[in-house]
Amino acid sequence: MKKDKTKLNLNRRNFLTGTATLAGIAATASVVPITIANANHSEGKKGLPDFISWKDRDALIVHSDKGIETHRSAIGESLITPNRNIYIRNNMPTMTDKQIGDRKKWKVSIEGVKNPQTFTLAQLQKLGHETMATILQCSGNGRGFFEHKPRGSQWKTGAAACVLWTGVPMKTVVDACGGINGAAVYMTSEGVDHEPTGLDPKKAMIARSVPKKVYKDAMLAWEMNGVPLPNAHGGPLRMVTPGYFGINNVKHIGKVAFTTEQSSVKYMKSSYRISPIGKKGSQYPSCWEMPVKSWITRPTDETGTVKAGKVQIVGVAMGGTKKVRSVKVSVDGGSSWKKAKFIGPNLGKYAWRQFVLETTLSAGTYNIASLASNGSDKQPELRMENRRGYAHNGWKDHSVNITVV
Amino acid sequence: MKTKKFLLIFALSFLLNTQTLFADEAKMAKGLEIFNETAGCAACHVLKAAGSEGNIGPNLDTVEGLSYESVMDIVTHGLGVMPAFGEDEILTKEEIDIVSFYVANSVTK
Repeated sequence: MKKDKTKLNLNRRNFLTGTATLAGIAATASVVPITIANANHSEGKKGLPDFISWKDRDALIVHSDKGIETHRSAIGESLITPNRNIYIRNNMPTMTDKQIGDRKKWKVSIEGVKNPQTFTLAQLQKLGHETMATILQCSGNGRGFFEHKPRGSQWKTGAAACVLWTGVPMKTVVDACGGINGAAVYMTSEGVDHEPTGLDPKKAMIARSVPKKVYKDAMLAWEMNGVPLPNAHGGPLRMVTPGYFGINNVKHIGKVAFTTEQSSVKYMKSSYRISPIGKKGSQYPSCWEMPVKSWITRPTDETGTVKAGKVQIVGVAMGGTKKVRSVKVSVDGGSSWKKAKFIGPNLGKYAWRQFVLETTLSAGTYNIASLASNGSDKQPELRMENRRGYAHNGWKDHSVNITVV
Repeated sequence: MKTKKFLLIFALSFLLNTQTLFADEAKMAKGLEIFNETAGCAACHVLKAAGSEGNIGPNLDTVEGLSYESVMDIVTHGLGVMPAFGEDEILTKEEIDIVSFYVANSVTK
């Protein structure tokens, strides 16, 4: 029998759809035609994959066609990060217009409430309307600074954005369903972007449980910075969990359930757990609340040499789930600090604040750092070492070296 | 005498080099087989050299900093929905070495 080496054996993907071993291959059924999977990822003319060809290539660093972050200096200048600059980090392929279908008819089911029911997007839009600003930040933002080279996208500062969401508050949805069932402890959101792939939901579904209390400030959002939520960012509808890491803001949302247990899918049980290097398991804390954090956005080693004299040191600062209270800046690697001024509008505790320190620098090299506080916590100097390089908020790694001439 | 010695060394080194060449070629061929068949990498990844067009994981031709070591690390331990081919014993250590070698030498830079 002549073996065709270039023939693709799609059946081999079945170990993901059924059992963990190759032995299950014969028994499992579904094989996804590659044409569906292929639909939106070919490289466009701008050096960006097709599905995000509308973004600004110059503002972005492409780690792969699936991991794209914003340049340090392309964040924060106008407080809100424009859609064309926002990072991309999707665990599943972005859903296409065809897979989404009629957006107004997109469905999300609500469970673990007195009157469980399903709403279409059109119905949700009649139910309530609110706008709020939050930070979208990948759990692994800052992973690129860890010395033990953890697996995964090597983000520095660019897997973060400050976004204005428009949608219906979860509180409103919950009220419309008669309230949450007494025993529930978590709000569990499930995406449907894994469905077109045919992969086993236990391994591929993005389902994230967060503490129930998050529902009070959460939102089902259909607009991002004033435009219909782009597919690449979870359109037509996603969960927004303010102050919580990006993964919890489930894209392409299909269900919100108030549950007594955390979801048992891989993306909840084993992935996104903050554990010591060399250890892993579901007993470790999940990537939930974002810690207080800040970083300088200009000048940086990227923005070129600085002219001696008056310098405006600019950055962004966030408090996580609490309001950010203060930021101080050092130009000597942390030996001395000066309090920076908050500038621009205050969009609430879940957004970031822009800050500025005006100072005079003579010729030389400087290590500039920022250190934010939210009242109860401030940034540590060093990173909190963990296996997968999550939740980095150490000020030292986030410092920048500049040359003043 | 000198010429004979020289010719001998030349012939020997030529032989050894072609042996390595043949060994590499065989490894690449085996790697393609693991990529497309045994492990099913093709189902989830684009890799031009393998003719694969999967769209679950990243297009391997676009992955920044891809190396033999980084491929081996991810294939062994998995990442997100990508199985831990090593930890879960889906591939043998030898197969992982071969497919990592194959991918690292196949990506279009």
